[in-house]
Amino acid sequence: MDLVVEYNSLLNFINFGELGLMDNAYYPFDTYNLPYAICYRLWEVLGGTIAWLLNLLFPDNGVSRWLIGEGASTLFALILFMLVMFIVVFVCTLISLWMERKCLGRMMDRRGTMVGMKGFLQCVADGLKTFMKENTLPGKIDRMTYMWTVSLVIGVSVLVACMVPLSARWYVVDYDTGLLIIMAFFALAPFFILVSGWAQNNKYALIGGMRAAELMISYEVPMLIMIATTALLAGSFNIGDIVYAQNDTVWFFIPQIIGFITFFFCATAESERLPFDIAEAEAELVEGWQTEYAGMKWGLIMLADYFRGYVACAMVTIMYLGGWTLPFIGDGPIPEIVFLLKTWFVFFLMILIRAALARVRPDQILNIGWKVFMPLSVINLAVVLLLKVGGVF
Amino acid sequence: MTIKYLDKYPKNLAKSLWVVKPSWTVFKLFCKTVAHRPVTVLYPYEKEWVPDNYRGRPGLRFDKCVGCGMCARMCPTACIKLVDAVDDEGKTVKRPQVNMGRCAMCGYCAEYCPVDAMTVTPEYEIAEYTRFDLLYGPRRLNYDKTTPGMEVKLEVTLPSDIANGNPERRVSLFDLDRPELTDSKCIGCKKCAKVCPVSAITMVEKGTNEKTGKPILRPEIDNSKCICCRNCVDDCPKDALEIKEVL
Repeated sequence: MDLVVEYNSLLNFINFGELGLMDNAYYPFDTYNLPYAICYRLWEVLGGTIAWLLNLLFPDNGVSRWLIGEGASTLFALILFMLVMFIVVFVCTLISLWMERKCLGRMMDRRGTMVGMKGFLQCVADGLKTFMKENTLPGKIDRMTYMWTVSLVIGVSVLVACMVPLSARWYVVDYDTGLLIIMAFFALAPFFILVSGWAQNNKYALIGGMRAAELMISYEVPMLIMIATTALLAGSFNIGDIVYAQNDTVWFFIPQIIGFITFFFCATAESERLPFDIAEAEAELVEGWQTEYAGMKWGLIMLADYFRGYVACAMVTIMYLGGWTLPFIGDGPIPEIVFLLKTWFVFFLMILIRAALARVRPDQILNIGWKVFMPLSVINLAVVLLLKVGGVF
Repeated sequence: MTIKYLDKYPKNLAKSLWVVKPSWTVFKLFCKTVAHRPVTVLYPYEKEWVPDNYRGRPGLRFDKCVGCGMCARMCPTACIKLVDAVDDEGKTVKRPQVNMGRCAMCGYCAEYCPVDAMTVTPEYEIAEYTRFDLLYGPRRLNYDKTTPGMEVKLEVTLPSDIANGNPERRVSLFDLDRPELTDSKCIGCKKCAKVCPVSAITMVEKGTNEKTGKPILRPEIDNSKCICCRNCVDDCPKDALEIKEVL
């Protein structure tokens, strides 16, 4: 079991590989997984304490022995693992939310949020405030669709955010088609938004839902072409392979500079951020497709929006900015931090675009999608094909 | 499409290209506001600097006031009223009371005050819980930290002055106006002498009435004392006094 060594560099000092957890018969991953190792260690402390206390009360009982056995340890470690994966992504999203508010404030020559810790606690305050709100439902809605679609939008966003690997040792599932699966889940939300807009029995929500569908048909095709281009260049859909292919050659934004810019804007549209937030468009439609959602439902939708923004930035980082690697260093000691810093840098660019540009009209988005993004993505594909055929990559 | 775009924006293509220019502008502003502070002032915690003659609430120097009522007369929102107050020597005198709920902070009272007793103050946080609390009596209106800058002068530039090459402003031009008596209307009732706040009017005997044998009294105005408050003009029962423009 020396799979750890494959990506380890000498600087990789955070190493739980000696725990022997990969000798566990129920070890759920193929390679070394850092969050799982942390959770396993945590459960060894927690479960061991519980088992010890139970053993004090009832000497030599079966439950204690089961708790420290291999199977139960793996089970509880996986439960803790889920929590850790979510909390890390959640905190990263909150930080990007804070960054957006603060940077956007500075770009508009104002202060941004001010509540505690340079404004970071404003997120907590907003969360508490929406949590305290009454959970109202409008009268004439299609209740089942209304609740299901919002749950799916939020659920899919959170799922996709947790699926993004932070490094070769920080992942949930290491798919061979990881990029495709993430983009597929990522592209599901507009369908639910369309159905949700229909279910709310509200003209603004309906227009918002229609616009979400319109937005999707304009950016999705060029975006998929560019994903295929990147996969072509790297020779794999596996996220780790794509990242290490960039580490071996150059970051892909150098050969695919057209694709990088186009994908960046497509990703902005995918996460429904300005200037492509025509589905929400709070200046024209009241709150777009979210109009009839009250209280914590709305709060979670907003949070899911930022999850999607985070995933879009992570996609740009993985596909064009070398993921968690650094030139000449490779993985480095803490590749997760490198990855997050790159993601936040891309998010900063998104904030810049948001502050600089006005919202596009629904007819303009179709023009941009089919007359600008589409040719650019095809040109990008042609460039990559030439490079591939010419033997550069 | 590209040709259309070039037709529309022919100049400086590199900068006006699509999103580059606005993004660059925003980025410059971002760098500026990160290095320096944004324009926003966090009001309750930090306050903007106010000049001396900032037109906040009116302030009164109780001892300097003569109770002429000029402020009450000039107030555009009619929030000033003369009320009885007891001064330091125990005498009852007239002093202005300001209803801050109606005050527009225009500073006219300070401008027109002939003795500069009424001033503007830099105080603007005067919210209260009830309307009654907004009535500022003469003593409450008093403002201790009055500086010379708070005495707002009524400055006038006359077109004739400018034509004569003298652009300097005249201060309190209207204080130079003086009441003038129409002798035939006066009945010698002494009312003007009573209402004059600075005792500029004295009643002088001008001969005797032939029918009744009583002395004929006429007001005589001491121009050095007069502050042009027009109380005598307003209170004259026969309209014998009127303001005459003196320049």
